[in-house]
Amino acid sequence: MSAWSRFWHRYGLAYLFVGPALLGMLLVHYGPMLQGIYMGFLDLRLATLRQYLGAPFVGLENYREILFDPQSTFRTGFVYAVRTTLLYALVVNALTLSLGLLFAHVLNRPLFLRGLWRTLFLLPWVVPSYVVGLLWGFMWLKNGVINTLLVDVLHALPEKPHWLIGPLTFVAIVLPTVWRSWPFVMVTYLAALQTVPQELYEAAKVDGATPWQRFRHITWPLLRPVTAILLLYGLLGTLYSFNIVYMMFGHGAGYPGEWGDLLMTNLFRNTFGMWNFGLGAAASTLYMLLTLVLILFWYRVFREDLKAR
Amino acid sequence: MREERWLAWGAWGVLVLGLFGQLFPILWMVNTSLMTQLEAATGSLFPKVPQWGNYLEIWRALPFFQYLKNSLLICGLTTLFALGVAILAGYALARFRFPGAELFAGSVLLTQVIPGILFLIPIYIMYIAFQNWVREALGLEVRLVGSYTGLVLTYTAFFVPMSIWILRGFFASIPKELEEAAMVDGATPFQAFYRVILPLALPGIAATAVYIFLTAWDELLFAQILTTEATATIPVGIRNFVGNFQNRYDLVMAAATVATLPVLFLFFLVQRWLIQGLTAGAVKG
Repeated sequence: MSAWSRFWHRYGLAYLFVGPALLGMLLVHYGPMLQGIYMGFLDLRLATLRQYLGAPFVGLENYREILFDPQSTFRTGFVYAVRTTLLYALVVNALTLSLGLLFAHVLNRPLFLRGLWRTLFLLPWVVPSYVVGLLWGFMWLKNGVINTLLVDVLHALPEKPHWLIGPLTFVAIVLPTVWRSWPFVMVTYLAALQTVPQELYEAAKVDGATPWQRFRHITWPLLRPVTAILLLYGLLGTLYSFNIVYMMFGHGAGYPGEWGDLLMTNLFRNTFGMWNFGLGAAASTLYMLLTLVLILFWYRVFREDLKAR
Repeated sequence: MREERWLAWGAWGVLVLGLFGQLFPILWMVNTSLMTQLEAATGSLFPKVPQWGNYLEIWRALPFFQYLKNSLLICGLTTLFALGVAILAGYALARFRFPGAELFAGSVLLTQVIPGILFLIPIYIMYIAFQNWVREALGLEVRLVGSYTGLVLTYTAFFVPMSIWILRGFFASIPKELEEAAMVDGATPFQAFYRVILPLALPGIAATAVYIFLTAWDELLFAQILTTEATATIPVGIRNFVGNFQNRYDLVMAAATVATLPVLFLFFLVQRWLIQGLTAGAVKG
């Protein structure tokens, strides 16, 4: 038997099994991604669209416009979107993880009808995110139900604010995202809590530890690895969030304002609305780099926890 | 103990508040879908007379049947294809040792770091270039932008990586000894996979199928660019309707309710396995 046929005999089935997936990833993920990075150096507009990768090469011109051209309206919108997206990722994940952790503890107690409550909490997670955007966009209207509850029923505010204009837009996009995301965090934490040996808690109780001390010294160290993974999912989910904002501002031009515009909605609008694919590709490449930097940072923080898994 | 009593009461209080917050918006969607146009637009609290007719009107006011058909077809085919590809790769990662396995596993995960827009732009231009090339070189009309083919192809590849990861976990949780026993009895590795492991992994496979369908059902970025009016999926259709008829919140909420029902149904069907499969990735690694 030749070396080649021995190799084939031994690994052939494995390569046949991963082959289709590899082909798909090359065709739809990595091939286009490399093209996209290259397109960032091209002057690729409607007029040069048919030239595909043969469109005029302009070097770093697109990057210069995005990073350094104060005259560029594209740059202005992009910078706002970077700021709003980073804040959005920070606030949404902080709220999602805290709420998820809190409710996991609530549901980890021997409650009446516990399974039913868990399912009911999860429902928003099953609602498609485009429906979430539509629904909350409607609830946030000036004479919508949120203002009715806040002003007419609870008298929490003196008058009805415009949630979809100005800085309040940020609140209007954060809350629906948290509403939809935290239940999944809750069930994951719940699954993790159920793997914690009960003897540890019993022993701590005997030693007179308070509930807070039990959480701080037993539960939390065991939850850190899970938190790391949940935060990674959450970071990717929020940095690449699109549907909720896109549907919430579905009217007219669809511009959510500087406090509502995320990178994905911003780049989508500016690339396909203005037919400037070269500029869009360059900005998308920067977008990916931004995500990679954040993930690197995440990895540095949680490196030890990931090893411990 | 006093402390324990406080915790118990606090838990119930938080629970009730949480339930209200989570359920109210969904109830409000259904409530609004039963209002008249005027009631919905002026912020009424309840419909005077429930307008069940709204659920008939959506099929007339917008081509909702067309959108539903498109969504079911595209998501159904995507689920089928992506599942097939991911089962094979997920099994290979869980069981086979082969040169490049680590690299393959890493590149599966790394796909999730690419922002959709970075491959949407080239895919759109690449598909157009491919169509032009086929027309000029072969004289054939093949459509990738605006057709089912283009979107199903893209979606299939799109959802494979996460599905591989979920399935890998399910396969890894099945004892290896089962295949080994089958092979001692004379089965080939493929037969061991097909006859022994696949049936055992069915709950996991069903859960992954639902995961793919749910995610495809909720995809809007690519669908917005790669569909036309004739192939538009539900989110694209509703978005266009909202842009054209700004004050029909009653109909929009009825359409939103109908769009939620299929995924809700699928969720209840495989809830336990789905949650187990998705959380296992974070809890066990």
